[in-house]
Amino acid sequence: MSGLSLAVRRQRIIAPPVSGQELVLLVVIAALWVVLGLTTPAFLTSDSIRPLFVQVAPIALIGVGMTFVIIAAGIDVSVGSSLMVCAVVAAKLLVDQGAAGPLAVLVSILLGALLGAVNGVLIAWGRVHPIIITFGTLNVFQWIGRQVFGSSTVNGIPGTFDVFGRGDAGSTLGIPHSFLLTLVIAALAWWYLRQTPGGRHYYAIGGDPVAADLAGVRVRRRVAAAYVLTGALVGLAAVFTIAAGTSTLDQSVGSGLELEVIAAVVIGGTSIVGGRGSVLGTLLGALLVQTVTSGVTQLGWPTQLSSFFVGVFVVIAVGADLVREHTRRRAA
Amino acid sequence: MTASPLPTNTTAGSGPQPPTPAERAPGLGARILRAVLTQREMLLVALIVIVLAYMSYESYAGYLTADYDVDYIAGAMIDLVPLAMLALAELVVIVSGRGGIDLSVGSIASLSGMVFGFAYGEWNWPLGLAIALAAVVGAALGAVNGLLVAYLGFPALIATLATYYAYSSIAIVIHDQKPISTTEIQQMYSLTRSVEIPGLGSVLPSIPLGVFTFLLPTVVVVWLALNRTTYGRRLYAIGTNDTAATWSGVHVARTRLTAYVVAGLVSGLVAVYITAQFASARPDAGTSGNGLALPAITIAVLGGVAITGGIGRVSGVVLAALLITWLDAGILLMFEGNEGTQAQLLALGAVLIFAALLNAYTTRRYGGTR
Repeated sequence: MSGLSLAVRRQRIIAPPVSGQELVLLVVIAALWVVLGLTTPAFLTSDSIRPLFVQVAPIALIGVGMTFVIIAAGIDVSVGSSLMVCAVVAAKLLVDQGAAGPLAVLVSILLGALLGAVNGVLIAWGRVHPIIITFGTLNVFQWIGRQVFGSSTVNGIPGTFDVFGRGDAGSTLGIPHSFLLTLVIAALAWWYLRQTPGGRHYYAIGGDPVAADLAGVRVRRRVAAAYVLTGALVGLAAVFTIAAGTSTLDQSVGSGLELEVIAAVVIGGTSIVGGRGSVLGTLLGALLVQTVTSGVTQLGWPTQLSSFFVGVFVVIAVGADLVREHTRRRAA
Repeated sequence: MTASPLPTNTTAGSGPQPPTPAERAPGLGARILRAVLTQREMLLVALIVIVLAYMSYESYAGYLTADYDVDYIAGAMIDLVPLAMLALAELVVIVSGRGGIDLSVGSIASLSGMVFGFAYGEWNWPLGLAIALAAVVGAALGAVNGLLVAYLGFPALIATLATYYAYSSIAIVIHDQKPISTTEIQQMYSLTRSVEIPGLGSVLPSIPLGVFTFLLPTVVVVWLALNRTTYGRRLYAIGTNDTAATWSGVHVARTRLTAYVVAGLVSGLVAVYITAQFASARPDAGTSGNGLALPAITIAVLGGVAITGGIGRVSGVVLAALLITWLDAGILLMFEGNEGTQAQLLALGAVLIFAALLNAYTTRRYGGTR
């Protein structure tokens, strides 16, 4: 190995800000938008794009937390159920107590963080595989949510959260507030994961938890914190979901959300076995998932067909990741 | 952990070990704790007895909405059949190791159920041929999972998550979101009727027919395959350590692929049973609510299957399936209306977390393979 290539390698200790997968995703999303714009003229109008960004906000936001979890080689399949719990509690606060907006938002975020803490503590200290624990809490949270629902739906939700909604009150210069807030949080998380020791610890844990522990990383605390963060973001996403919906909240809220979020993270190039990934990729992955979902609806195809395409995209994205990993191993 | 067929765990057996002079003989309490933790079948039998006794007492005292008697317990086994079969499918896949798990069993059941519905209900194929087709479709869908996991190196979690998406979507779109319930399909309901056991009809209650036509053959075949064939030995070997298995001449990828094919095939058979049970081939048969994969995985974990692979037995899984079935049946009677189905969610989740924590603790304390 010559000195020159060694010097080149030294600059690459931190990954480049935009990875190959993210560039590919940008191209795929752009291509989809052009194709959808040509086949259904209504797609590229602001009436269609703005709802897309409102709907992508919860997926991308939870995806940010899920990126931390998956980089640390974990997974959280309970986010759909915890979103249901947060949403119904926030909605009941607004309807029954007439609570002020900020209070309801705060309660929702804290409740989400609490549910996340249950996952985090059980996973970090119980030393059980995260999918088993979160599969279990998925059911427990679902039960809690339905107990709070009592009757079948919550009706007459006031417009307290309209500032995050899809109406004119919910956007500035045509960009929905929920999406802007998601961008800000994602940017913070991106900076934290790339530039701070704490962020790098997550990559270390995902690479090899034992080695990270020996190197002085407080593995359990970091792992638990990732689930708490995800929970808190679920709480905020619940507010976005209420704001984007009608004045009625039914029990199906959040069902299947965990699949969309995990798909977004994985499509974004985060390795499911941990140690690699970025928040930027997750944002693009969420955008791709939502574009597919909206596109299928706008083309007049059965809604359920969108999950077929999402599944195919997941296989392609993970396959590309495996190929990259393989070539890198061979090069090393 | 239950006694494993592998030497790594022989120290976890309950047999008396020669005491070394330096060690004091463990007290009675410690011995009981060890027996309860390491003999999963004993624990499950004890829990089943407790559940049955408690529910019978509640029933006797009149707290339940209906009688929890012998006939009800036997009738509840109609739900045991799909749960136990899918849990056995998960057993085979999880034992195969390297993070093996199959989230797509429910959607495979939906899709092969729809194919079965077409074949038997609309194209009027003979019943045997239609069942064979459902099994073949299930095996083919399982083979897709197996190829992704065993040959292409996909993590099982994400591969089966993606195929869960894809299969359930196809199952719903294939017949315009409508179930298939032609006369032929509706008449299949008779396949799930309860029958008397010949000669014992006066002693034992009537048992649902599916237990004999679907569940028992599956249990016997899976047990024989895992415990009496070379394939079973290979499966436990790759689940424990696939590098070691490779060096001892096992074709790891092919063995692992077969595990996913078996899981798909069993799901295809479950599809036929569910179609008969509901008298209709429903596009969301295996995915409605929380789907069938979750209870199946819960039962497998409760039955002592280690999520890390290489450990797990048929007897534990069957006992765990019985426990969950009779617990669920009892919970249903404890509440009015749909409160019962909600409480079942809580019970399933709590049992899964409890069983997983118990497995992890047992492995750390007595198994030491972690």
